[in-house]
Amino acid sequence: MKAYSIHNLRKSFNGRSILDVDCLEIEAGRIYGLLGPNGAGKTTLLNILGFLDQPTSGRFDFLGKAVQFHEKDLLPLRKEVVVLDQYPVLFTTSVYKNLEFGLKLRKVERAERERVIDEVLDLVDMTSFKHSPAHNLSGGETQRIALARALALSPKVFLCDEPTASVDVENQAAIVALLKQINENKNISIVFTTHDRLLAAGLAHHTLVLNEGRLVSTSYENTFPCRIEPENDKQIRCRITEETGILLSSTKVKSPVAKSRLFIDPEKIDLHTGEGMQGGGNCLQGKILQLMEESGRVRVVVTVGFLLTVLLTREKYDSLRPGIGDTVVVSIVEDAVTLSN
Amino acid sequence: MDIFVDSLLSAISLVFSLDSEMLAIVMVSLQVSCVSTILAGLVGVPTGFFIALRRFPGKAMLITVLNTLLALPTVVIGLFVYAFISRRGVFGPLDLLYTQKAIVIGQVMLIIPLVSALTIAAISRIDDRYRRTAMTLGANRMQTAKVILFEARFGITAAIVAAFGRVISEIGISMMLGGNIKGFTRTMTTAMALEYDKGAFSLAVALGIVLMALSFGMNILFHFFQGKYRT
Repeated sequence: MKAYSIHNLRKSFNGRSILDVDCLEIEAGRIYGLLGPNGAGKTTLLNILGFLDQPTSGRFDFLGKAVQFHEKDLLPLRKEVVVLDQYPVLFTTSVYKNLEFGLKLRKVERAERERVIDEVLDLVDMTSFKHSPAHNLSGGETQRIALARALALSPKVFLCDEPTASVDVENQAAIVALLKQINENKNISIVFTTHDRLLAAGLAHHTLVLNEGRLVSTSYENTFPCRIEPENDKQIRCRITEETGILLSSTKVKSPVAKSRLFIDPEKIDLHTGEGMQGGGNCLQGKILQLMEESGRVRVVVTVGFLLTVLLTREKYDSLRPGIGDTVVVSIVEDAVTLSN
Repeated sequence: MDIFVDSLLSAISLVFSLDSEMLAIVMVSLQVSCVSTILAGLVGVPTGFFIALRRFPGKAMLITVLNTLLALPTVVIGLFVYAFISRRGVFGPLDLLYTQKAIVIGQVMLIIPLVSALTIAAISRIDDRYRRTAMTLGANRMQTAKVILFEARFGITAAIVAAFGRVISEIGISMMLGGNIKGFTRTMTTAMALEYDKGAFSLAVALGIVLMALSFGMNILFHFFQGKYRT
């Protein structure tokens, strides 16, 4: 079953398009990570999914039913979905009253409210804070109580805007574990936004990438702002740093621009190790900083003047056996590069 | 200097002896000021709330007008209301002039802009995340409005306290519309002006002490309440 089925969703503000999604389908009971740079439209999309904002146009189905964005129709839908803000706020009452708020709106009996509140406080390991004033909590505690407040409502979909961005490492681990647990035990669909590629890889079943309001098929990594300089009649150089750039044929640029955003597909980058290798052309020399196993492939992070991620197949990795600190050459073919404005 | 010290000692004695004339004046003042503040609160708070949360053409201009009205002199309001409720005015037959009701009308007009403007400021300071949080937890418009009002409670209370302070200390409206009738429309400020004219300072200073004590007491109470919720 699909939690959301969205087609041709557009959102514009003051005539400027901020979201332009052709097709997005979110399966119920799964975890989706929404990646993208600042200003990509992640929070706007999350607010639309949470029925807190409405699209300018588009078809929007929720749990198999078409959604009309009229206030009276949205109220029952909001009771199925909870949005957790990046920096959540707690009402300036007690923790208990914060947790009770949504339950009271749903006319849950007092005894049941008490039971649910105890259960979710136990889940976030904050039982001793039950009657504490909410405004005295730390950032991590606030985040956990906000999570508990959302979970108390047993939503069908839980939307989290950068759930671990504003908390320390200890709280990050607790929140990630909690999100996994509620997805597995309560079958709650989760969509979360993040800048953290590793968090998305570790937590999400599916990863979506938004760039300039559009869902893109590229991964979020290896996306760099670049300056475009003509090299000769047929080639341009996309300068990522003062020292490092990628040579491309002029036809890659549709209209003459000075600045662009460059994406290098990590799966199409070739990695060479061993003696006699040299940089030059689109071959960049660097050192391996990180190696990580990921879904049957190996993620290699190489510093070549900037941090570049290369995804190797298991076979390729076994044949090269690169090690951390090894000097390598990465070869970037033109096919691996996409330029966008 | 002697006259000041004598008046002050005599005033303190009046205050502690709970002089009946002084108490009657204080009661009239409190009565009209409380009624004015409640009525202005009932109109000003929802008005300010509506203006702060709604988008409509001319909103900025309306806020500017409200802010301008904050500086409106009490005598101008006194004159304006007088024109309507004097015997020759539209509401002359209601016989309101020189009654406590007339003072209340003038004072309500004086402080509605104040309550509205301070409510707008209080609501505007509330983080939009409270609205979105209430909505995502399932609140309808009315329930969301209640959440915002609750979060703005200190700002709105401050608006009400400021409005009360404004009316209890004003003199123009009380004098022009109340007429300073002993035991009926004589307020603390009009009584102080009269005593000053008579050259008798004891009661004037005593009333001044009560006025200051009232203001001080209200502010202490407000800050005590507010302090409980400060991090």
